[in-house]
Amino acid sequence: MATSPVRTAAGPPPEPPSLRALPSARPTDAALVARSLDEPEVFADLFDRHAGEVYRYLGRRVGELADDLLSETFLIAFRRRADYRPERLDVRPWLIGIATNLVHGHARTERRRYRALARVAAEPPIRDDDPGESADRWTAQALRGPLAAALGSLHVRDRDVLLLFAWSQLGYEEIAAALDIPTGTVRSRLNRARRQMRAALGPASPLEDPR
Amino acid sequence: MNEITLLREAGPDGPALTTATRQAARAALMAEIEGRPTVRRRRRPSRRVALRVGAGLVAVAAAWAGAVAVTSPDPATPPSSVTLVGFDMPTFPLSLDPQPPGLRPAFDGSGDGATIADYHDAEYREGFTVYVTEDEPERAEPAEGERVGDVREREVAGRDAELVRGSRPWCTGPDTDLDCTPRGYTELIWERREGQWVRIEGHGSYDDPAQVTAVAESLIDRPQPATLAVGLAPAGWSVQGFKMGRVLTLANDAYEQQTLTVHIPRPDEVIPAGEVRESVPGPVGPQLDVAVNGRPAQLVLCESGYLDQRTWYLQAQFPDGTTFVLQAPDTFTQEQVLAVAAQVTHTP
Repeated sequence: MATSPVRTAAGPPPEPPSLRALPSARPTDAALVARSLDEPEVFADLFDRHAGEVYRYLGRRVGELADDLLSETFLIAFRRRADYRPERLDVRPWLIGIATNLVHGHARTERRRYRALARVAAEPPIRDDDPGESADRWTAQALRGPLAAALGSLHVRDRDVLLLFAWSQLGYEEIAAALDIPTGTVRSRLNRARRQMRAALGPASPLEDPR
Repeated sequence: MNEITLLREAGPDGPALTTATRQAARAALMAEIEGRPTVRRRRRPSRRVALRVGAGLVAVAAAWAGAVAVTSPDPATPPSSVTLVGFDMPTFPLSLDPQPPGLRPAFDGSGDGATIADYHDAEYREGFTVYVTEDEPERAEPAEGERVGDVREREVAGRDAELVRGSRPWCTGPDTDLDCTPRGYTELIWERREGQWVRIEGHGSYDDPAQVTAVAESLIDRPQPATLAVGLAPAGWSVQGFKMGRVLTLANDAYEQQTLTVHIPRPDEVIPAGEVRESVPGPVGPQLDVAVNGRPAQLVLCESGYLDQRTWYLQAQFPDGTTFVLQAPDTFTQEQVLAVAAQVTHTP
């Protein structure tokens, strides 16, 4: 039977490996913007973090034109990074605000898209017999067309506030900072937009009266 | 359910972010970061060009002072001579069929072509303006005193259009005593085809949805030449801009400070034949009495006020007696100035 060679320690046991510090938590968005002033290439990390969400927002507003506006949003953000004030606004709403301003240059494209969606959605929805389907879901499907038409009827400034609140889930203060308007203006525009949406959807609207 | 929930659940969906789109946008950003020329995909490339010429007296002043206003002069040495060749003016892409009675167009544009066709009477009270752009026109914030009415939907040749009615202050009289009253307008905007947006703004009897829509539906794809044109120009020069059928500027592509400007002065701006030398800034040498189109013309060499360059100032007339002014750098010979002037045409 072969015996295993006896391993002997040549010396004192090595010291246990020192615990390396874990990589520091990933830098915040604001830190990346600040670093990008000296190291411009780190700005690309912000693209990687936020491109998807910025695109989703743009795509819901202007459709395929989002392909162009996504790129323009980040180019503008990069060029204006020295003006970014982290104490005023997080990077995500800052980017969404830039994207919103770009949408303004294509307000007619946006309205035409809503009108087209309203026409397409005018066909009655196919009801799923799944008993688990909620009434709300059924109602929402039935309202796609009127909803798109109602969005198209809003003034672009009111629509901005409504969609930043609804789709990007920004708060009043964030919307105010992103659009560079007073918070009170955000409230009044949002109230007006919601009131007009309710009116535009008509008497068949299932919306609860907020009063 | 409220509006917000409804928007989240049933609001319009956007397209999915494709890998290609993401990569293209990121590549454009990296190019910007690394200071490389940006090569990125655009669905509709923008070619917005700002005109660098003004109208009337402003244009004359700009022609004289423009070189002085250049903040970063091209270090290249200006060429010392030019070679004249035949020149084709850019065109406005659309025509009206039928032509509006009693109205003739004047065009604004750049080397890429005319983008504005203006059909108005002499007082600018009656008529309309047609704007053509590749990109969707942006709606500017209402000017002071402007009232913008509701936006309504229309259809032009089967395409969705927007109709806007409103009014703006319309001011007449001398600058020191302007008389401003609201003037109505009707505006129609639509994408006539992919990458061709048209905006028509009507005044007077054209401040009327039916009239403006009729104009819109009379547009056809037939290019119109500029009303003020040159038939000869130096090789390597191109149109920098033209405005309202009264001002045309060409520039040396290799040295943009060198320009050739033709403009039609208003009758009260025409200098009496015997007073041209005394009326132009920086005359050098005598006034030369020459002939263009068989009519008397006056030629003076002047200091341009820029880099020791000199400019020819020629006041001449078209065959119908309308006066025009041609200004060219002294890299043109006297004979070349007269040759270019003889090929200037005006079809108001």
